[in-house]
Amino acid sequence: MKRLSEVVSEQQAMQSVVGLTDIFEGLASMRLAQVKDQVLSSQHFFNELWDIYSQVRTSNQFHYGRGLDKSPLEKELYIAITAEGGFSGDIDQKLISWMLKFYDKSKQDIIIIGHHGALQLTQAGVEFKRYFRLPAHDNNINVEPLIAQVKLYSSTSVFYQTYITLMVQDIKRIELKRAIEDASKQALASNNTRIKGQDYIFEPSPEIVAGHLENTMMQITLTQTILDSKLAQYASRFRSMRRASDKANDMMHELTREYSRTKRFYADERLKEVINGLVKHEARQA
Amino acid sequence: MATTTAKTDQTIRVKVASPYQVYFDEQAYSISGVNATGPFDVLPGHHNFITLLEPCELFIRSGAGERKIRINGGLMHIKANMANVFLDV
Repeated sequence: MKRLSEVVSEQQAMQSVVGLTDIFEGLASMRLAQVKDQVLSSQHFFNELWDIYSQVRTSNQFHYGRGLDKSPLEKELYIAITAEGGFSGDIDQKLISWMLKFYDKSKQDIIIIGHHGALQLTQAGVEFKRYFRLPAHDNNINVEPLIAQVKLYSSTSVFYQTYITLMVQDIKRIELKRAIEDASKQALASNNTRIKGQDYIFEPSPEIVAGHLENTMMQITLTQTILDSKLAQYASRFRSMRRASDKANDMMHELTREYSRTKRFYADERLKEVINGLVKHEARQA
Repeated sequence: MATTTAKTDQTIRVKVASPYQVYFDEQAYSISGVNATGPFDVLPGHHNFITLLEPCELFIRSGAGERKIRINGGLMHIKANMANVFLDV
């Protein structure tokens, strides 16, 4: 049986863990709400731009905003978006393992976003071309350095985490070109009017505006996948912290029970000693 | 009674927004900016127009006065007497 002072000290340590997990859970929940707000507030802006892009497109082919005269590398680019630090559950591990199932060094290059994923790739002995930090801010995410890399390759796939509900997150892969073409077709289907040169004045020219918008659509798509990933990571972190908090609370209850048991044990022991002393005393007197 | 509200037939709807913020969304008498050709003005009833904006100061005149918005570039789309300025794209 532990000493009562040991149980009290364990209880105090566990109380700190309960407090910490509660704080982390609260922080994750707050960040989750902030990113959700960002996603919602930007949605209308991005939808309007999708409408314009889908109406302006001069051909059905997407050229990654690089023009037709530049030939890209005959390799596919994999972009994996992971968390910057730990505390995000096992979702990064799932994402990296899934991506590596498709990965062939001779056919693909990897760009990793987030320190957690970079660490896992290094541990798996997989080389990556570039590493970018996951943006700390949830708005004004600068994806230009990423787009400069995307333009070098013939095609790009993005592996990222997606938010379904607070308790359910999934991992997803999108082929950038197809995602943009599909979104554009959807936007055009809902607003079936093509912008024609004779109805509009374009400055500098329709081709340059369409090329610029291709770049913008890549920015939007990548920004949205990063935001979606962050949302899923915060939800996953919230879930992990909730689990840790529940476990810490369970352990706290167990320690409280142990404290009571130990206290009762020592009280019983003292009582037994007193009774034994009384019995011996009475026996001596008799 | 004097009023500062602009009449819609003499004005154009102007909306200036970035993904996370709306800077201006009101009726206005005119909006001026700079594109690759140089400075330009947009008045009510302007022809359908799409242009890439250079880093400049957008100048909007409305019933509430004059408003300047410094921008790093963007896209302006004008259609049906509505000017939409998309910033940071």
